Amino acid sequence: MLGVYDFCGHYEWTFEWLRRTGGERLVRQYWDEAISQDSQRHAAELIVPQGIPGMIEYWGHTLEHEAAGYYCTTTDAVYRIDMHQCPSKGFLIRNSLQQYHDYCDHCMGWIGPLLRRAGFVVDHQHNHAGRCWWEIRRADDPTEPSEPGGLAGEHDVRLLPDWIQPAPLDTYRRANDPDDKATILPESR
Amino acid sequence: MSTKPFPNLDRDEKETGSDQDGRGLSHLGALPYRDTKPVGAADFYFAINATFRFLLRRFGWEGLRRYWTDLGTQYYAPVSAAWQQRGLPGIAAYWRAFFAAEPGAEVQVQESDQAVVVTVSVCPAFKQLRAHHREIVPCFCQQCYFLNESIAAPAGFTVRVAGGNGSCRQTFLPRDAGTPPQDLSEIREATC
Repeated sequence: MLGVYDFCGHYEWTFEWLRRTGGERLVRQYWDEAISQDSQRHAAELIVPQGIPGMIEYWGHTLEHEAAGYYCTTTDAVYRIDMHQCPSKGFLIRNSLQQYHDYCDHCMGWIGPLLRRAGFVVDHQHNHAGRCWWEIRRADDPTEPSEPGGLAGEHDVRLLPDWIQPAPLDTYRRANDPDDKATILPESR
Repeated sequence: MSTKPFPNLDRDEKETGSDQDGRGLSHLGALPYRDTKPVGAADFYFAINATFRFLLRRFGWEGLRRYWTDLGTQYYAPVSAAWQQRGLPGIAAYWRAFFAAEPGAEVQVQESDQAVVVTVSVCPAFKQLRAHHREIVPCFCQQCYFLNESIAAPAGFTVRVAGGNGSCRQTFLPRDAGTPPQDLSEIREATC
């Protein structure tokens, strides 16, 4: 039986199985159809009709349930998450599990399409070491992402000494698509 | 992927503290991959069910069966290696630890010289999916034959599954015990 205790392990393994079976396109279809529209439909049921209040309700429950180390900042216009200890990436790192080339892309892979349907876009960075930040605004809001500390204060992950890692920093601007990212290499930071 | 049985065991056996809920982690020692929390998040059963549905629609029954088999022989290779090394006691220890970490499971594991019998009174996946009115893939319970058989076979064991749809019995036996092949009609279809 497939269990949920090591879910992130076989979930990550599945990405690579799909990639080998049907290429990256199949992985993207899986994140949208199976995860965003089917598995996480309870997220859509909150976020699409309610917007930011629905995000507060959904992520408040989910991140507590997954024992994440995180901080949320909310205004009427933006919902921000600072993920200090991603529970799923942390599980993979601790257990030396990596089959797919970028596990972190799965979040944008399912959240991005959901937020598009809800009328929102995402500014986001992940450092491949279990830390990331998200700023979610309405698609017609042209506001640029905050400067480090500007919105979340001391809780901003970008202020942590280990935010900058040897691995590339993946960056999304006003995005809804997992492939809509710029990769910032260590030597260019 | 490493096929060393439980590559993290040396490290994890040194963990003597408690997790965030104050419950020790020592009962999970037979698992190959370890987390810092005592049980998994039940919402992930939604994703497991949705993954089966996606694969069934894209690739049909044979594709879903291939996924389960590949998962068993590749991702769970450390479990096969441990079962091969430790035999039936290792199989029993694995299932005790496995279901201790699954939220809402009610399971008994009985071990003898001939077999390990896992009696699932309350399947945690069905409990969660039904509580949230999720449509369950009809062949959901077949995973427990094809996945577990693909883990057991390289270790010299086989499994027979009877029941399903929320409760079942899984019997693990040596492959040379002369057991008749699995009758798939013994595994019930899932209903919501």
